[in-house]
Amino acid sequence: MKIKFWGVRGSIPAPGPETNRYGGNTSCVSVHTDDGKLLIIDMGTGLMHLGNTLMAGAFGKGEGRAAILLSHTHWDHIQGLNFFAPVFVAGNQLTVWGPGGSPSVLEDILEGQMDPNFSPLQTLRNFSASFDVRAATCGGTGFEANGVHVTAREHPHGATRALAFRIEDRGRSFVYASDVGYPDSGPPASAIALYQGADVLLHDSTYRPADQATRRGRGFSSYEDACAAAIAAKVKTLVPFHYDQDYTDDDVDEIIAACKKLVGPHGIEVVPAREGDELSV
Amino acid sequence: MKVRFWGVRGSIPVPGRTTNRYGGNTSCVEVRPRHEPPIIIDAGTGIRRLGKSLMEQEFGDGKGSASILISHTHWDHVQGLPFFAPLYRSGNQVHIFARQRDMHLEAVFSQQHQGPYFPVPFTELQAEMRFHELIEGAKFDIGSAKITCAQLNHPWVAIAYRVEIDRAAVVYCSDTAPFTDLLLGRDFVEKPVMGTLPPPVRHELDVMRAGVIALAKNADLLIYDTHFTPEEYAVRPHWGHSRPSDAIDIARAAKVKQLCLFHHAPMRSDDENDKILAAARASAEDVSIVSAYEGLELPLGDQ
Repeated sequence: MKIKFWGVRGSIPAPGPETNRYGGNTSCVSVHTDDGKLLIIDMGTGLMHLGNTLMAGAFGKGEGRAAILLSHTHWDHIQGLNFFAPVFVAGNQLTVWGPGGSPSVLEDILEGQMDPNFSPLQTLRNFSASFDVRAATCGGTGFEANGVHVTAREHPHGATRALAFRIEDRGRSFVYASDVGYPDSGPPASAIALYQGADVLLHDSTYRPADQATRRGRGFSSYEDACAAAIAAKVKTLVPFHYDQDYTDDDVDEIIAACKKLVGPHGIEVVPAREGDELSV
Repeated sequence: MKVRFWGVRGSIPVPGRTTNRYGGNTSCVEVRPRHEPPIIIDAGTGIRRLGKSLMEQEFGDGKGSASILISHTHWDHVQGLPFFAPLYRSGNQVHIFARQRDMHLEAVFSQQHQGPYFPVPFTELQAEMRFHELIEGAKFDIGSAKITCAQLNHPWVAIAYRVEIDRAAVVYCSDTAPFTDLLLGRDFVEKPVMGTLPPPVRHELDVMRAGVIALAKNADLLIYDTHFTPEEYAVRPHWGHSRPSDAIDIARAAKVKQLCLFHHAPMRSDDENDKILAAARASAEDVSIVSAYEGLELPLGDQ
């Protein structure tokens, strides 16, 4: 499978020359399986740019099909939806798999973003594409999203929860674990079980440890948490993700270097999440 | 006063190398009177950096007061508010002015902070917040600044503001479609029908145009929505945005001293914005034109 980063930033888009190298768009990652199936994870502002690229292919002709895995509904994970060009082409089929256990509640939350006070679209019903909202099943044997096997787990994220996803394709595995704040005791066994032996673990690395210490209640990981999870789960590659909006490229360079120092001795490779980069698994 | 631009982009923030010079943040303009608290127009993502800058002043000590004039509540004009640092310091006062909606304004704004969307609910903000609902033709004072309004041609209605203080006037006129082809309101328009307008609609648009010209009359600076090129407008007249030629038309009719192109389309690169500015200047040598970029500061009137 091929993983591509369209938005890697946390909380709010951060434009400016100081974020040019890693990128300032909020969370969005695409996964193309070897047999051409598309999964999209999260709908931050990066989704607009993914959508514009997809329009050159089947989605431009109304023949596109994708599953969107949604970790949670905080703004930075849904704010790109209104600008995702494929939803305006009839014939495209999009299925969102999200948190909360109730498709109707999740659909209402997404509708809230389209409310006429806030969006000229007024309602999801003004999308031309088919747009189906479903509740992701957590745990168990998982579910099939656009024909790809996915397992989900609910992580604590401040006062709420966010889903982490494990995607399996032809014996390879990719885990997306953004927006997670572990208890002081560290990641629970069930989280490590989801990450176990993954070829790629993309993990929330919002903060430096010192910044996390003053913002514990927000429900984000430090890069040290990400490294500890990667080591405990014996993953092959760690992808730090969801950098704080105030961090410059130089700050992120430091985070990546620190990660390499921590996980390198365990034989784990570090690949930074950087807008526009692609990773083959 | 000084007018400073913190966000100049329309629709959605666009980080990246192609927007470094003009900036990728959504709409936010600071009007800073000589001796009075800031009057902020719109709360797009640009307000995050403005908030940080204010925290270095009296807002950091919980002694700040700011007024925010909202043109309308589409996301790109309010999405920065949860990240406006002065809201998280007790003692600060923030007054929000916007057009009256079906729901009370406080309910509209609190939606953005609800649990599914944002971790900090409205009720946990530390600053004292006051909401001021505006009706058509509202006139009011903020300190010694005189504020007047006019209605714009935009889906679900937007309003323009004139702020007069320090012997100068700035007019903020975003977002609006031209007053010629369609009347936009509460209905969702999927595909616009162009053609001859029924006389009552024609009349309503004429009244709206006259209201905007009266609002901008002799202003020192007119900040105007120029989201579209002529080609883009031809395809999307129902999106509620204008072209540079529309802005120039109003600037001439109102005899403003300077016109500022604003609300740049998200996919517009810096080089394209340069060309649009050059073309606008070449087409209207009688009008002084600038194009808004993040960090642009224009002194007006008494300094």
